[in-house]
Amino acid sequence: MNPVLVPTNDVNSEHGILVMWFADDGAEVEKDELLAEVETSKAVLEVLAPVGGVLLHTAAKGTEVPLSQPIAHLFEDAAARSSFIEQQAAAAAAAPSPDGPRATVKAVQRAAELGVDLSTLKLDRLITVKDVEAAVAPAVPDTLPEPLVGAPGRQRILIIGAALGATQVLDILAGSRTQQAVAIVDDDTSRWGAEVHGVPVVGGSGRLSELFATGVFDAAIIAIGKSPAVRARFREACSAAGVPLANAIDPTAKIATDVELGQGNIICAFCHVATGVRMGDNNFFSAYNSFDHHSVIGSDNASGPSCYTSGKVTIGSRIRFGTGIVIEPDVVIGDDAAIASGAVIVSSVPAEHAVKTKIVTTTVVPLRR
Amino acid sequence: MIFAKELGDTLRGALTDDPRVVLLGEDIADPYGGAFKVTRGLSTAFPQRVRTTPISEGAIAGVSAGLALAGYRPIAEVMFGDFLTLMFDQVVNHIAKYQAMYAGQATCPVVVRAATGGHRGYGPTHSQSLEKHFLGVPHLRVVAASLFHDPREVFSDFLGRDEPVLYVEHKLLYPQHLTLPVNGRIGDLLATSEGGPLPTVRLSAVPVEDCTVSVLAYGYQAMLAAKVIERLAMEEEIFAELLVPAQIAPMDWAPVERSVAVTGRLVTVEEGADGWSWGTEAASVISRRLFGRLRRPVDVVASEATVIPSSKTKEASILVGSAQIEAAIRAAAR
Repeated sequence: MNPVLVPTNDVNSEHGILVMWFADDGAEVEKDELLAEVETSKAVLEVLAPVGGVLLHTAAKGTEVPLSQPIAHLFEDAAARSSFIEQQAAAAAAAPSPDGPRATVKAVQRAAELGVDLSTLKLDRLITVKDVEAAVAPAVPDTLPEPLVGAPGRQRILIIGAALGATQVLDILAGSRTQQAVAIVDDDTSRWGAEVHGVPVVGGSGRLSELFATGVFDAAIIAIGKSPAVRARFREACSAAGVPLANAIDPTAKIATDVELGQGNIICAFCHVATGVRMGDNNFFSAYNSFDHHSVIGSDNASGPSCYTSGKVTIGSRIRFGTGIVIEPDVVIGDDAAIASGAVIVSSVPAEHAVKTKIVTTTVVPLRR
Repeated sequence: MIFAKELGDTLRGALTDDPRVVLLGEDIADPYGGAFKVTRGLSTAFPQRVRTTPISEGAIAGVSAGLALAGYRPIAEVMFGDFLTLMFDQVVNHIAKYQAMYAGQATCPVVVRAATGGHRGYGPTHSQSLEKHFLGVPHLRVVAASLFHDPREVFSDFLGRDEPVLYVEHKLLYPQHLTLPVNGRIGDLLATSEGGPLPTVRLSAVPVEDCTVSVLAYGYQAMLAAKVIERLAMEEEIFAELLVPAQIAPMDWAPVERSVAVTGRLVTVEEGADGWSWGTEAASVISRRLFGRLRRPVDVVASEATVIPSSKTKEASILVGSAQIEAAIRAAAR
């Protein structure tokens, strides 16, 4: 197959008009035979056959043709011409119908892996891997384990979140004579049916109301340390389900006199909550945190180890503290702030602001022997 | 209809609707009808108001300024945007200044249309995108033709206002078909338009919440970028939102801010030479307004700052094309 191009050096024209065909569609032509005339803005161009062969028009008389595209093809014989026409028709028929689902290449692959029929996804937009995976019913174990039966006289605790935060809470409760973990819920279905330190993961947070109504636990603790926003969301979910929160306070923590604590606070080992401190609900404070006297703390905060405040510091809500942070007296930290590790905070931080620190790197070199 | 004809049709409509409209330019009259055939047929229909001029962009600018001051609506064609430099003094020192200098008692609503851009092998002085030199001239608007904006609405805005405007038309848009948003889509991409008669068109394969990079481009480069973002979405699930403003100076940054606030990353694309450019201005503004929310520095994609060669192969290695746009989006989305 040889393309028939319009011979032109006319840089001012993108298109020409196909004025006349001198050789009919399907005709057998000789090399250099006049096939057509094309008129551009500058000239009328004669199009000659580049080789001999059987002609297939791809543009009609009187139409505008792009000068960069062939206006016809030449084939060795009529059979080659026919088979080319058939191929073109087949290719056109095989093209996806405009009404069918449109999906990315990766989505098509993923759908094949997961056995998802894309045509069942009723989405009026491009289907992505995320859509395909969302369409797969989560692999849920047939039977979910039962919560443990608590020892008499102990507050039975349901833990929300089965990741490493849960192990920290379980460690605190392990030393407790008043509280006992009986079950864990987690929205990651792959954790369902597993145990964390002997406590079963009994399903997702969707079971909160049901489990509470059947009386298998007395209060919940949200064991998610990283994200204050997620802590806040689960606290609201508990509140909506009428589920009370409980504090989990490590026995090595020092809680002074005249301290007011809300509910749902996790206070890890060797923390110090000094006299006169007022603390809201649902905070997750890691080991060696110290809140000095008369500091006021909101709710849903999360910290790394070794965060210290001086006296009379005010901490808002939903604040994320890194590790090793020192806060001067009377400082106020606004809601939704984020504080980088190693910060020494000498003045107040407005809400929704980040405190950044210069990164101090330690250089590691081989020992000279 | 291809863009050149849509634009010709727009100018015909302007001549028909507004007796103050006058078209001036080199070789714009029939039978030649302009180097890119935009004005073909118009001098036959409006022989008094569609006039071929001598080869002097300076004269075209001066005559246009005079006509505009006298109450006409001149639309001047610059056959090759490279020669906008010959108009620069008239535009900067006169046309753009009258309205402010005479406290609105004089207006000079000149519309300058210029065919710009390369990728055609036209060499050093017929391939450039020099519009960046006009960005930031006080009281001068710079608007870029695109396939996503109907030229009828663009010109109705031009002729409805008293400010001068430079309208840059990339040569490679002329043979393309307009692709305007229909029912929230352009082809298979989701499309929304934001802001006034010269909107910014936002295009993406998936809702912006799932996009990880914003791309800001105009004119022919916007057409290329639209194809790149669609291909990257379909083949690799790299999701980008493309923003295509019509008016590139002064800029309405609000749609860009809204997009980058979601994606955290911005790639700008322009065909002009790198440095001191539209993209660097975007980088400055967005870095300032979204400081702390950007996940990486703004990436400015522009052509190599050198003379554009006549060899098409060498030209392709210097001018921004799909390959450079794709590489930048990939790097940003990583």
